[in-house]
Amino acid sequence: MLTVEQNEELTKVGPGTPMGELLRNYWYPIAFDEDFDNKPSKSVRLLSENWTLYKTPSGKYGIIGEHCPHRRASLTYGVVHEDGIRCGYHGWKFDMDGNCMEQPAEAENENFKARVKAKSGLAETMGGMIWVYVGEQPAPKLPRFDVFVLDGIREAGYATLPCNWLQIMENSVDPHHVEWLHGYYFEFLGQTQGFDAPKSFQKKHMKTAFDEFEWGIIKRRVLEGHSEADDDWAIGHPLVFPFFMRVGGQWIDQMQIRVPIDDTTTWKLFYSLHHPEGGVWEHQERPVFYPFPYKDENGEFITDYVEGQDAMAWVSQGPVTDRTQEHLGRSDAGVALLRKMFKENMRKVANGEDPIAIIREEHDVIHLPCERDKFGAGTAFTDQWITGGSMRYSPLKEQLLKLHRDAAANREKAKSEA
Amino acid sequence: MVDPKLLPLDPHRLPDPGEWFAPDAERHLLDRPKFCPTCGGDLDDGMITEYWRSEDRVFYTWCPHCAWTGTIVRVERATIFEAEH
Repeated sequence: MLTVEQNEELTKVGPGTPMGELLRNYWYPIAFDEDFDNKPSKSVRLLSENWTLYKTPSGKYGIIGEHCPHRRASLTYGVVHEDGIRCGYHGWKFDMDGNCMEQPAEAENENFKARVKAKSGLAETMGGMIWVYVGEQPAPKLPRFDVFVLDGIREAGYATLPCNWLQIMENSVDPHHVEWLHGYYFEFLGQTQGFDAPKSFQKKHMKTAFDEFEWGIIKRRVLEGHSEADDDWAIGHPLVFPFFMRVGGQWIDQMQIRVPIDDTTTWKLFYSLHHPEGGVWEHQERPVFYPFPYKDENGEFITDYVEGQDAMAWVSQGPVTDRTQEHLGRSDAGVALLRKMFKENMRKVANGEDPIAIIREEHDVIHLPCERDKFGAGTAFTDQWITGGSMRYSPLKEQLLKLHRDAAANREKAKSEA
Repeated sequence: MVDPKLLPLDPHRLPDPGEWFAPDAERHLLDRPKFCPTCGGDLDDGMITEYWRSEDRVFYTWCPHCAWTGTIVRVERATIFEAEH
């Protein structure tokens, strides 16, 4: 339970808010490379602000406040140049830093353009997505997390969810929901609707723990029949501050991404890298992106798969969870820790310090700790995840099942020959 | 409803009286720790999340002044859970 003020402070992401200022220290994926195959610019919304994202003829990306400082027309309907973008309405041109370079109808008033600057940021591509930074300079480096840069087959399901991003993040430090939402409830649906619910998620939690580390919080669990020597405890998996969660198992490594579009909208992606030991795959030019549905034609939540169940739990809390009305228990200790971490880092930013999970050094890849043997389910886990999760909507579903099954068979073969 | 005079003054606000759990929200405002147990600093700008453990109300507390983090428990009744034996 929180106060009204604390709940608002934690959930408002616009410019000038404490959380908004903290979140502006990070890079966010906001579009796909393929969005620019047929047009050079796109309107995007991030942290309660509207932006124009554009791609120059040579392939550089830029981001600028969507509305032209002149008469507020959308710059998305502008002319993209190699060194910036020109408003379609009156031809004002802005460079990639938002400086006004030309005002064609104001030629005799040359000092005017020096007084005009548009909001701008930085944009780079990684893992088939366009990442943007819209905070203060100097910008940190775009963190090259393993899932986005390692070799393998990549695919991602995405949806725009009508809820605040924090209620999705709090789900990442709530291990118990797995055995209930994805275990008990899934089994109930299976029994009443006539399908086999996956068993991996049904194991009882015996112990959970949360450790702060340089990228966020490591979440650990001991399940019934398991021990602290198992991956779920010994390695665990991280919430990567402030808007990711890394999960994985059996060479499916996934980054769950929660982009705060505004206070009540979150762009949710399940970005997966498939690179099983013993597997063979052809080089993939681009990841495959596909929408995953979370409501049916009647507006009801689709709850017969794992991420659909999660979406129900997140969205049904309402656009912004009223935390003055919640009743947490001791199993929610991770939620309390996460809120503390947000508040602590808001204060750091207010004091002019870097928050956690910022990298300013050049680097090749950031390997995140993540369990491999998930829930002790072995290779059955890959089948259950692909068919019982959002990957069931992937255009690559059959290919992925085959990739992991063949790889498992190859590993068995190699083991028996050794 | 608690006598409004007992509640802290602005800027604290309460949920609408018609909300189901408004009385608990009132108790949260009244009972949450006000000062850090280590440095004595004002916790108004800290982060206090309340959760429940049996009869106890637990306030997971972060102090904005000294960064002390810990739980402060408001005890209504001493409840002991026996280990299995």
